[in-house]
Amino acid sequence: MIKRLIELSMDFPKSTLVVTFLLTLAFGAQFVKIHIDTDPENMLSADQPDRVLYNEIKKNFGIHDLIVLGITDEAGAFRPDTLKKVARIIDGILKIPGVITDDVVSLTTTNDVRARAGLLEVRRIMHQIPNDATGSEALRAAIADNPLLSDKVASADGTGLAIYIPIVAKDQAHHIGVEIKKLARTELTEGQQFYLAGLPIAEDSFGMEMFKQMGIMSPVSGMMIFLLLWFLFRKVTLILPVMAVAMFTVVWGMGLLIGLGYTVHIMSSMIPVFLMPIAVLDSVHILSDFYDRYPAIGDRRETLRQTIGELYTPMLFTSLTSSVGFASLMLAPIPPVQVFGAFVAIGILVAWLLTITFIPASIMLIREDRLKSAMGHLKAGDSDLTRWLQRFGQLAYRRAGVIAVTAALILAAGFWGITRTVVNDNPVNWFSKGHEIRIADNVMNKLFGGTYMAYLVLEGTADDDMKRPEVLDYMVKLQRTLDADPAVGKTSSLADIIGQVGYVLHDSDSAWRKVPDNREELAQYLFLYQMSGDVGDLDNFVDYGYRSANIWIQMKQGDNRIMARVQDLVSAYTTANPPPVGITLEWSGLTYINKVWQDLMVGGMMKAILGGFVAVLVLMVILFRSVSLGVLSMLPLTFAITLSYGLAGFVGKDYDMPIAVVSSLALGLSIDFAIHFIQRCRSCLARTNGDLARANQLLFGETARAIVRNALVIAIGFLPMVFSSLGPYKTVGAFFALLMLFSSMTTLGLLPGLLKITQGRWRGNNAAVQPSNAVKGD
Amino acid sequence: MKLNILRISGPLLALIALTWMPGGATAAEPDARSIVANSLQAFYYAAKDMRARVTMRLINAQGQERKREMTMLRKNSGEGGEQRYYIYFHTPSDVKGTTFMVWKYLQKEDDRWIFIPAIKLVRRIAADDKRSSFVGSDFTHEDVSGRSVDDETHSLLRTEEMAGRAVYVVESKPKAQSDYARRLSWIDQQHGLPLKEEYFDTRDEKVRVFTADQVEQVDGHWTITVRTMKNLQTGHRTQTRFTDIKYDVGLKQNLFSERYLRNPPRKWIR
Repeated sequence: MIKRLIELSMDFPKSTLVVTFLLTLAFGAQFVKIHIDTDPENMLSADQPDRVLYNEIKKNFGIHDLIVLGITDEAGAFRPDTLKKVARIIDGILKIPGVITDDVVSLTTTNDVRARAGLLEVRRIMHQIPNDATGSEALRAAIADNPLLSDKVASADGTGLAIYIPIVAKDQAHHIGVEIKKLARTELTEGQQFYLAGLPIAEDSFGMEMFKQMGIMSPVSGMMIFLLLWFLFRKVTLILPVMAVAMFTVVWGMGLLIGLGYTVHIMSSMIPVFLMPIAVLDSVHILSDFYDRYPAIGDRRETLRQTIGELYTPMLFTSLTSSVGFASLMLAPIPPVQVFGAFVAIGILVAWLLTITFIPASIMLIREDRLKSAMGHLKAGDSDLTRWLQRFGQLAYRRAGVIAVTAALILAAGFWGITRTVVNDNPVNWFSKGHEIRIADNVMNKLFGGTYMAYLVLEGTADDDMKRPEVLDYMVKLQRTLDADPAVGKTSSLADIIGQVGYVLHDSDSAWRKVPDNREELAQYLFLYQMSGDVGDLDNFVDYGYRSANIWIQMKQGDNRIMARVQDLVSAYTTANPPPVGITLEWSGLTYINKVWQDLMVGGMMKAILGGFVAVLVLMVILFRSVSLGVLSMLPLTFAITLSYGLAGFVGKDYDMPIAVVSSLALGLSIDFAIHFIQRCRSCLARTNGDLARANQLLFGETARAIVRNALVIAIGFLPMVFSSLGPYKTVGAFFALLMLFSSMTTLGLLPGLLKITQGRWRGNNAAVQPSNAVKGD
Repeated sequence: MKLNILRISGPLLALIALTWMPGGATAAEPDARSIVANSLQAFYYAAKDMRARVTMRLINAQGQERKREMTMLRKNSGEGGEQRYYIYFHTPSDVKGTTFMVWKYLQKEDDRWIFIPAIKLVRRIAADDKRSSFVGSDFTHEDVSGRSVDDETHSLLRTEEMAGRAVYVVESKPKAQSDYARRLSWIDQQHGLPLKEEYFDTRDEKVRVFTADQVEQVDGHWTITVRTMKNLQTGHRTQTRFTDIKYDVGLKQNLFSERYLRNPPRKWIR
C-alpha cells in the first residue's frame, strides 16, 4: 500500500505538493493556540504525592508566587537619599495591578515591634524616612536586631535592601516585572543597582528565551543545514524539498501537539530541534543515492525507482526504530517528557511519510535537462571524499581485529567516565552565566538569606499541636541542625516569632529570646503578635488550626545535590532525636520539588532508555532476522551513548535534565547509520555474489558518502545551538555533534571488521531476507 | 476655622443631627459631611456607654476558622469625641484573661495597653497607625472605634434603595495618605448606620468590603449586631456578632485603667 503511495506521488507530483502544502497549512494554523508552560512544578504529574503536598502547603500557609526586588547602593543603602528613593519605589509598586498589596514585605509596608522602656512600639519598619546618618544607622540597627527581618528586608552589610512582592497570578509576572523595572530605573542613579529575582520572573524569562530559541535557533540551524546541503549537492531545487520536509515535519508535529491542547514546555519546545535532523537524515539518503545513480541512468523516474527500491527497507527500519526509541520516553514518569517522546515519535513517522512522497514528487517536477546540468560538477567535488572513504573502508575491513580491540578499550574508557557522573541539576543554571537572572540570583544570594526555598513541615495530629512547648522546642533544634549546613542561609519559624515577642516584651533582653515552656505564655505571645500585626502575619508559619507548622529554609544554592545533603542532615538528626509524639516531618518547597522530579527523571530516563534500547534491539533482530546482525546494529548506538556520557562524566558536566533527555536522541540518530550500513551491505552482497570484501568496497562508495554527509550536516548544522542562552539547548547542540561523530565513526570504522569476523553467524540466512525489490529496476 | 462636629458635646450633636433628620419628605438633601458626621455618631457614639459580648470569626480563603470571644466595654468620655474601650478575651482558652484597653483620641495617636496574664505583664503599645488590624482581624482599629469626620472629604453621589431601605451613597477620600484611596458608603437615611462600605486602593481596585449583616434596635439605639469585613485580595474575612448588648449601664471612668486591666471587673465581665 505504501509503495502504491510512492507511485502515486510520482504520477501526480503537483497534486502531492498541493495536498502536502494544504495539510501543512492546516497544522500550521494550530500554532495560534500555543500555550507556553514554564512552571517547573509541571515536571511532576498533577497527582504526584510531593506535588499534591506542595500545593496543600502553599494553600494552608498562604504562600504566593513572589517577585523579589533587590536594591543595592555601593555607598550604603542606609542613607536618607537612598531610603527616600526606595520608599518611592515601594509606593509605586503598591500601585501596580496584580500586586497583593496587603502582603508586600518592605521597609514601609511591614510592621516591626520594638521595645522602649516598657513601651511596645508597633510601627512600619521605616515609619519615617530618617533625615540624617544617625537616624539611618538606627534603622539599620533595628532591622539587624529582629531576626525575622534581618537578611530579609536588608542585607547584613547594609548595602542592599529587598522588597518582597507577592502577585495574584504567575501570568501577571511579566507586566509586573516590567513596571517594577521602570520604577527602579526612574529612581536609581549611579552606584545604585537593582535586581529582580523570584520564580515567576525566572519562569517568565525562561518562557521568553524559549520563544527566542524556537524563533531564532531553529531557523538558524535550518539555514546552516541548508548551506551545508548546498555545499554538498549544489542544486537549490533539490535541496529545497529536503528543507521543506524538515520544516513541514516540524509544523505537523508541533501543530498536532498544540492542536491537541498540550502546552509547550521546555521539553516540547525542543521537539523542532530534534525532528529537523531526523527528517533531514532520510532525505539526504535519498538525495545522496539519487545523485550517485542519476548520471548513469539519466532518467529521473527510473533513478527514483531504483533509489527508493534500495532505500525503502532501511528507511522504514530506521524510522520505525527511532520512533520506538522516542516512544519509549513515555515510560518516564515525567509528563513533559512523555509528551515530548510521543510527539517526536509521531514526527519521525511524519518525516518518513513526507520523505517518500514529497521528495520524489518534487524531483519529478524538476526538468530533466536541469538535473543533468546540475550533476556535472558534483562528481569532481566529491571524489576526494570518495577516495578517502575507500581507503578508510579497506583499512577498517582488513584490520578488523586491531580495531575491535581498540574499540573495546575506548568503550571501557567510556564506561569509566560514566562512573564519574555526578547527578545534579539547578534550573537557574539553565540560563547562561551572563543572563540577568543568573546575575540577580548571585547578588541576591550573596546579600540576603537565600533565594532557594525549601519547607520543612511539622505535621501534628490534633489542633493546637503547634502550641505545645516541646514541639516548638523541637522546631528550634531542627533549625539549629539546618543552620549548620553552609548552603542554608536562613531559617524562620513560629519559634522565631515567639522568641522575638519574648525579647521585645522583656525590654530587648536577649535572655528572653526563647520559647517559653508554659503553654499559656506561649499562646499569649502569639496572640500579642497577631494583635500588633496584620491578619495574615502568622499564616506563613502555622496553619489556621495550629495543627501544622512550616519552617522556612532559605538556601543560597539550589542544586539538587545540596538539597539532598540538607535532607540527609535532617534525617540524621531525626533518627537520633525522634520528633515529639504525634508529630511527623515532611519536606516541600520548590527546591525540594526540583529534586523530586530530577530523581524521578534520572531513574525514569534510565529505565526509558534501557526499555527503548531493548525494544530497538528486538526490532532489529526481527527486521534482520538475525541475532548477530541485531546486536551489531546496536553497536553505534551503544558507543555513541557510552562515549558521549563518558565524556560528560569525564569533564565533570552534571547529569541534569537536558543531558538525560538527550540520551533519547542517540536512539533516534545513531541507529540510523547502522541500519543503512548493514541493510545495504546485504544488498551489496547480493550484487557481488557473496564477496564480502567487494561488497565492503561498494559500501564505502554511496552508503559511506551518505553517512558522512549526514553526520556532517547534522553535527555542523546544530552547532549554532551551542551559543544559545539556554543550557538545555547548548547541551543538545553539543550532543548532536558528539553523537554524530561517535556513531558515524563506529558504523564506518568498526562495523566492516565486525561484519567480517562474524560473517559465519549471519550469512547463512542471508538469502531469506533480501530487501524487498518490488520497485527495484536493475 | 474648621468646626469639628465631634468636638461638640453629645446632646448638642444629637440636636444638630435631628435638625436634618428626615422629617419632611421635601426637606433639602443634607450635605455629605453632615451625613457622615451623623453616621459616625450613630455607629460609634450611641448612648453614654455600652457593654456587649462580641464573637469574632476569622475565616480564611479556605474556609478555615479562628474564633475569639470577648466582652467589650465602651465609654464616651465627653469632649473631643474621646472614647475608652476595654476588651476582655474569653476564648481562645489559652489566652483567656488577656485584656486590652484603648484610649481613643481623634486628633492624636490612640493609647493602647495590653495585659498578658501568663506573665502578669502590662505593656503600653504605641502605634501610629489606626489602619492596622484590630486584634488580628480584618477590621482596623478605626473600623472598630471610628474616625474623625474631617480625616476625609466627602461627597454625596446619589440616593438609592438598598434592601428596601433608602440610603445615601457617599464617597469619602482620606486627606492624608492611607491604605485606601477612596471609600464608598451606603448610609441608611433613617438611622444613619452604614449598611455597606467599599474601600478602593490607589489602583482604584476594590480591596475591602464592609457589610452590616444585621441591624437591630437595642434599648432604642439602632445597632449593627452582625457585621463582616472582607478582604478581597486575600479572601480573608471577619464576621463579628454583638450579643447581650446593653446601653447606658453606667460604666465608671476609672474602670479603664491599668488596675482593671490586671484585675478584670467581675461585674462587667461574664
